[in-house]
Amino acid sequence: MAPFAAALAVVLATGVAVLATRWLPTAVPSELTAPERVPFLGGGLPEVHAWSRYHVRYYAMALLFLAFDMEMVFMYPWAVVFVEEGVLALIEMLMFIVILVLGILYAWREGALRWA
Amino acid sequence: MNPVAAVGVVGGVLGAGAYALAVLDGAAARGVAGMPRRWADVVVEPARDAALLALTRRSTTERPDAQAWALAPGLLAAMAGAAVASVPLAEGFAVADVADGIVLFGAAMAVVMVGVYLHGWSANSPFPLVGGYRFIALALSYEMPLALVLIAAALPAESLSVGAIVASQAGSWNVVRQPLGLPLYLVAGMGLAFWGPLDGADGADLAGGTAAEVSGPARLAWELARRFVLVAVALMGAAVFLGGWHGPVLPGAVWMALKTLALLALTVAIGHRVARVRLERFVVVAWAVLIPLALVDVFVSGALAL
Amino acid sequence: MGVIRRLATRAEAPVFPVVGAGGRLRASELALLPGIRLVGTPRAASVLLIIGDLTPALVRPALTVHDQLPSPRATVWWPVGADRGLLQAWPGLVTVEAGDAEGLRRIFAGLVEGRRASDPPLLLDIEPARWRGEGPYGQGGTGMTGGVPFGRPLPGRAPDPDGLELDQLPLHIGPLFPPFPPGLVLDVALQGDVVRQASVGENPFRSWPGGPDPGPLDTGAFVEALTTPTGVAELELSRARHHLRWLADALRVHGLSALATRVARLAATLAPTDGPEVEALVRRLRRSRSLASATAGVGAVDRPAADLPAGPVARAAGAGDDARTDDPAYRALGFEPVVHHGGDARARMHQRLGEAVQSLELAGRAGEAVRAPGPALEGPRGPLRRGRPTPSSALVALVPTALAGSEWGDAITTVVSFDLDMEEAALSEVAGVHS
Repeated sequence: MAPFAAALAVVLATGVAVLATRWLPTAVPSELTAPERVPFLGGGLPEVHAWSRYHVRYYAMALLFLAFDMEMVFMYPWAVVFVEEGVLALIEMLMFIVILVLGILYAWREGALRWA
Repeated sequence: MNPVAAVGVVGGVLGAGAYALAVLDGAAARGVAGMPRRWADVVVEPARDAALLALTRRSTTERPDAQAWALAPGLLAAMAGAAVASVPLAEGFAVADVADGIVLFGAAMAVVMVGVYLHGWSANSPFPLVGGYRFIALALSYEMPLALVLIAAALPAESLSVGAIVASQAGSWNVVRQPLGLPLYLVAGMGLAFWGPLDGADGADLAGGTAAEVSGPARLAWELARRFVLVAVALMGAAVFLGGWHGPVLPGAVWMALKTLALLALTVAIGHRVARVRLERFVVVAWAVLIPLALVDVFVSGALAL
Repeated sequence: MGVIRRLATRAEAPVFPVVGAGGRLRASELALLPGIRLVGTPRAASVLLIIGDLTPALVRPALTVHDQLPSPRATVWWPVGADRGLLQAWPGLVTVEAGDAEGLRRIFAGLVEGRRASDPPLLLDIEPARWRGEGPYGQGGTGMTGGVPFGRPLPGRAPDPDGLELDQLPLHIGPLFPPFPPGLVLDVALQGDVVRQASVGENPFRSWPGGPDPGPLDTGAFVEALTTPTGVAELELSRARHHLRWLADALRVHGLSALATRVARLAATLAPTDGPEVEALVRRLRRSRSLASATAGVGAVDRPAADLPAGPVARAAGAGDDARTDDPAYRALGFEPVVHHGGDARARMHQRLGEAVQSLELAGRAGEAVRAPGPALEGPRGPLRRGRPTPSSALVALVPTALAGSEWGDAITTVVSFDLDMEEAALSEVAGVHS
């Protein structure tokens, strides 16, 4: 329990400390006028909101990442029992990884990594 | 460890580390630029810049997401704190040396992605938005090498706890046994803190990127949080690859500090000498080169550990 | 609080530069001045530094950027050349001698200490886009969506090469965007982080009532050499300095700002004896894998080299035209044009680096050789022929096609690789006389 409490305290304290810096009462408060709140465009004025259906061109790569993330989930416990299990564990994980690496090759050839 | 003591220790470590990083960065910048380096100035410069930011007014944009914008630096800093929690700062002295410290670190660093993205998206301004999305593309690419090299370091220790990994380096450090580990880790670490060549989030071509609309104490919070993340990365790297608190003569904590500073200095030097990567080029390199290298690292160290 | 103020007073003054007419040379030395830090966004700045003269079309953008500076803020003007009077109406403007960093720091220190009042916002506090509709979120009004959400419209959709229809942001990126050359206005249709279309907006340096003013260009020495006999050494030294200044800007955009400052210092104090240092720098940059990967294949213009505007851009694509080959003074020195192949941003960078090294070497060998005035002269951006269009105006025409379809970082690399000067582009032709 004690390590959990300490870790939680650390996470919360660091987060709150940096969060609180934002409200430091050292600057002179003043109401911002509309021109002071215009997004920076090098002197130009925006016509539309920036929030939009942004074209996330790397969506194919994100799927590849998901596959490897699932592989990570398997590798974590594998790393712990690896030495006791011996060469068999090495070969089994190697086979698993080879299949996934074939996945990367396929994605690369299909252009998932082109245009990110 | 007592929670209050833990907060004090981690706060001190992150704070001192961030300040040291800022000093190293200033010194390196002046050195590369060929400007005279007066140490008195270089050492006080971060404090002066922070003081100026404290006195400046916090800007806002027309229709931001105020809550997410406020939360983002706090989230980044909290994750840096979580990452530091599992690192043994001296023999047997870790805030929370859990049995799966590597997993905790990986999870914390994944949430960093959320923090940086929110910081870019909340401003409702084109350049921060592009910075946020670019960061995610880079982040998805370096996450895999990061996780893989940490697993490779866990193999000889037969445990995912960082304390066990440090203990397993009593004979030789991982940087020697697994030469591929540290370079890949540094690349991923620079990506996590969007530093130097991997500065897609706050790059100069986006007029400051996610930090383009931030000023005053909010800017101070963001710069602090970003440096906290880099310090956490360096601490973890020192523990996992440079042998942690092992070392002759000096106490373990001092060795940890020296090794962390060495990694910070290396990161700063790389930041000033390597140009920012092109997004697509880096993604291809990460998936086609870095991941296979990380896999080689895993299997070779596995074979050696047997 | 007093401690914080005392600390802040001694900090480096963060300055956002606004480069007006005639100010480009001064602006390139800004990074070298002690106690001043150039920032890339007005939100990080405390001082707005106006260098040179503001044309009527630059005033509104400058006011917009001024209001984006967080308080406490001050505006400082470094006048260069004749003052057209537009800045006299700027309240709170402090005029300081051009290049006077100490004066700027004094103003900054006063600002931080509280002795000097912060500039009030200069533009009227009018909501730029009014609410339409009746409810608090813009709902309930007439029209298809019942009102405009949050006052500004949301971006519209446009087809995308992936077969999707996603939003496209129409951005009007103004003349004061730091990575761009000062005065470049780009109307960009940004879909995600890809520039689908780009067009160059109205050149603000053309907006003087009496027409563009051929004021002190940064290539002034070359325009003068069209009519006056000039020493070859002096001309080549100016050329090398120009290329190094360009290199400093390019490195800053690529994230190497400390190295950029070093190059800028080299450019400012360049002498023919600096040959070895420049060569070492050039060798290092040519070998840099990160710069190579950031620029290779970026910004190639889909035209045969012979159709490109003559100058370093064309020579980087393989076309070996150089007005210096017809010049007897250069032929006597055994001049051969430097040519690269590829036509992308990397080739252009190597081209300018190579030309800088060559120019420095020529300057060292030329001695007292003088170049007689003639109809054509090879300027650092291209040939200057009296009565013909300036090189920058030809290069500006390439920008829209070069940027279409590029990712944002690549678009910036491309624009920087063209080495544009909007003041030069505002001139419809090369004047033979330097006013």
